[in-house]
Amino acid sequence: MRENEGRQDSQGQETDEQLMAAFARGSTDAFNTLFVRYKQPLFGFFWRRIADRSQAEELTQETFLALFKAQGRYEATALFRTYLYAIAMKILRTYRRKATFRAMFWGAPSQDKEPAARMEIDAEIALREAVGKLDRVAREILMLREYEELSYVEIAALLRIPVNTVRSRLFRARMALREMLAAPAAGAGQREFSKMEGRA
Amino acid sequence: MTTATTHPVAVEEVTAYLDGEVTSAEARRVEEHLAECAECALTRDQLRATSAAMASWSVPAAPAGLDAAIGQRVSGAVPQQKSVKPVRMGRRRPWVLVGGGAMAAVAAIVVIGAVLSYSTSYQRSAAPEPMMAPAPAGAEQGSTGQPAPQAEGIVGGAAPEPAPTPEQGAATSGAAASAAATGPMIARTASLTIVVKNITDSRAALDRILKQYQGYAAQLTVSTAADSSPSLQASLRVPVSDLPAALSALRALGQVQNETQGGEDVTQQHTDLMARLNNARETEKVLQSILQKQAGKMDDVLAVEEQISQTRGQIEQMEADQQALEHRVAFASIDVQLTEEYKAQLTGSSTPVGTRLRNSFVTGIGNAGSSLLGLVVFVEEAGPVLLIWALILGLPVVLVVRRYRKARTRV
Repeated sequence: MRENEGRQDSQGQETDEQLMAAFARGSTDAFNTLFVRYKQPLFGFFWRRIADRSQAEELTQETFLALFKAQGRYEATALFRTYLYAIAMKILRTYRRKATFRAMFWGAPSQDKEPAARMEIDAEIALREAVGKLDRVAREILMLREYEELSYVEIAALLRIPVNTVRSRLFRARMALREMLAAPAAGAGQREFSKMEGRA
Repeated sequence: MTTATTHPVAVEEVTAYLDGEVTSAEARRVEEHLAECAECALTRDQLRATSAAMASWSVPAAPAGLDAAIGQRVSGAVPQQKSVKPVRMGRRRPWVLVGGGAMAAVAAIVVIGAVLSYSTSYQRSAAPEPMMAPAPAGAEQGSTGQPAPQAEGIVGGAAPEPAPTPEQGAATSGAAASAAATGPMIARTASLTIVVKNITDSRAALDRILKQYQGYAAQLTVSTAADSSPSLQASLRVPVSDLPAALSALRALGQVQNETQGGEDVTQQHTDLMARLNNARETEKVLQSILQKQAGKMDDVLAVEEQISQTRGQIEQMEADQQALEHRVAFASIDVQLTEEYKAQLTGSSTPVGTRLRNSFVTGIGNAGSSLLGLVVFVEEAGPVLLIWALILGLPVVLVVRRYRKARTRV
């Protein structure tokens, strides 16, 4: 399921950027519309990246709150979606840093606080584990592309890496993932990486 | 790279094609290649399958409470102009850099401070050179200055000897006695700091003033240091009756910077002294009569004479004290400090430039050497201690870092 329903400018609706501009002028209706459009994608963004559902909800709230507070700062030069995910990424990063610090003293948080609520199937678990084994940046590129459906240019801007790097690492990440899903033995991904390196 | 030559389309282009990240011309080229290349077609299928597999990672619907919660939080929030900067992936961790930098800076400051203080203390202990502290000009007799200070000791304005003439002595004694009879005896003092135009002229004027008021200088020092204005310091004595007039005359010498006046009441002291003196004189008379009337044993006579001698000594001592006290009352003390206006003089340095350069170079080499030596000595002496502390503090740091890394992989 692709939950990113952000841009809907082809159906006579206002674009995200227009809504944001309206919000910058003080329209709370515009903010509400943006919220409705992006609450599910953003929740998904956090849900897939951290284990805790309530934390995902909390961070979604924080992102919208930050967006609200930064009302006057948005510049139409950037796509709203990129802008929003930049905020989300920053909040996620802050959360991870704090969580790492806490884990150092109190141990790692439980991965499944609400296992029943997840209703995971085996394939999903395998997928999550495989994605988790990817290199940090490669994983982020892959997830931003597959789930947030960001363009290469947007990903490059968000992660501050060249577009060509996005292209090549995305390809390698996909192939490594395929390999891991096909034969989920340890080290399979690495073999796939080196194989692809040779071809590229 | 052999495969790259056989495939006109790179595998990344296939990925980009599937993601719709190619131009229409590129897309046509990729499509054509995929139609004829089985290997690339397989890659395309694998990539598609991977994307399809990833779609199985479903996300539950956002919690229903999210709307209400965000509404509540937003209503309490105030929009602000704070910018949200894009996120930076990768290895940079600003807080680590800032924290580490701060710690490094503190450590560096501590080490440098320790080395410097050690270096200076080492220099001091190694070469205990006498300090050439420039004493204030004219502060003391024998104060420094390139020409030797003209410490002239007691310079008389009217008389080189402070002891008054017999008539004066009688007069002052009488005055003091009358003062004692009529009112309190006050020893007057005054002090003046004056900036004058020319110290030589002022000194002549000072001599004239002393002559005019029948005073004298108890002490006078002239200092002419090369790097500061010439100055004169004197302690003058003038008859107390002439004090106001003498002060006025002194003030006229230049610009007064500081003036203080004071007086010490010595009435009680004088009365006590007089009473004890009278007693001693009476005792002396009695002893004299005893000696005249009684012609007893030799020992007794000697004892009485001894007693008379002691009493006589006491009387003379007390008479001297009395005179000094009365003199203090009769003659006011004025401390004068005259300083010439500072005139900067364009004098070429006596040392040639070459010599100065050489001297400074030698000094520089010496300083560098002593600094280096200080550092070496510091390392030798403090090194082991620092090593111990580094071990003590380093071990927990290493453990914490390891734990942090472990935690990072878990989160």
